[in-house]
Amino acid sequence: MEPKHATLPELVVGPTDIARLRRELEALDNYLRQAALQKQTEIKLPKTSRMMDEFVALTKLDLLQAGDREQAVELLQRILKEAPVVHISFATDPSSAFVTKIVSWFRQNIHPLVLVQVGLQPSIAAGCVVRTANHQYDLSLRKHFAAQRPLLITKLQSMQTP
Amino acid sequence: MTIWWLLVILGFLGACGIGFVWLIVHVGRGGSGPAKNPADSYIEGAERDVEHIFNEDFREELRNRGRLHFEKIIGENAMFLQQDLRLTTSQLNEYMKAEITKKLKEEFAKYEESIMDAKQLAIDSIQKTNAAIDEERQALGAQLQQQAADEKARYVKLFEENMADVVNHYVLAAIGNQIDLSDQLEYILGELETNKQAILEDINSGA
Repeated sequence: MEPKHATLPELVVGPTDIARLRRELEALDNYLRQAALQKQTEIKLPKTSRMMDEFVALTKLDLLQAGDREQAVELLQRILKEAPVVHISFATDPSSAFVTKIVSWFRQNIHPLVLVQVGLQPSIAAGCVVRTANHQYDLSLRKHFAAQRPLLITKLQSMQTP
Repeated sequence: MTIWWLLVILGFLGACGIGFVWLIVHVGRGGSGPAKNPADSYIEGAERDVEHIFNEDFREELRNRGRLHFEKIIGENAMFLQQDLRLTTSQLNEYMKAEITKKLKEEFAKYEESIMDAKQLAIDSIQKTNAAIDEERQALGAQLQQQAADEKARYVKLFEENMADVVNHYVLAAIGNQIDLSDQLEYILGELETNKQAILEDINSGA
């Protein structure tokens, strides 16, 4: 499965989540390998995280199979290496639902595997600041106010003149 | 009767007078030969008795009288000298008092004149100093007013220049924490949609 054609669940937001999925997948792989070495007849899959459940459901991989687990690990490594990363900062710490909507927009409009790093920048007051690898887009209220500065000066001067 | 007695008495007195005159004339004519002068006899007697008259006792008496007279004169002169001395001393005291008073008055007058000159000099100096201080104060006041006006104009200009930043900063600080992030979702998605093409090109070129 190529990364460009692969998809990521909306719960997986940034590189940190990918790394977490990878660690969880490695732990699961170790657990299943140990169970295979112990020749256990009934192997019960341990409880996985919701993020892993959605990832597995979306990729339709069987984690009980060693080949699928290796394929999942390779996929995650490839995503972590090749997927575009966008850093977006807000004035306050956003909720997970808010982040999910933002990630969903990015993956629908920009790239299906885009990873979003969420930051905090209280000085922007409102809006957000999007930073890609090559550029920064200041979509904050502060920038909007700065853009409207001549209009504000004109209005204030018109108020001062009797 | 009285007149008769008076005539008798007058006649008696006249008879007595006539008799006296006759007696005198008769006595003067009755001497024998040339009569000797009594003064000459006294001189001769004195010449004979000069040594007898001016003997040691008489000389001692004269010395005593002379000594007493001399002492009297000395005493009188001493008294006169004492009086003169007292008078001179008194006059000298008066003169010294007058001279000292005069000198003191002159010195006091000079001293007072010196004090007045010094006072006038001090007053002139103080007046000059006050005038200089007033000029300096006026210049300083004008300079301060000018500086205050310049500073005020500078602040006004600076305020006008940065007024928009001040208002922006105030608005951002006032409403920054009051805007819920979920309320901004539509605005943010709209801004992202506006910059969608640029972000897409940036991602594709960077990837």
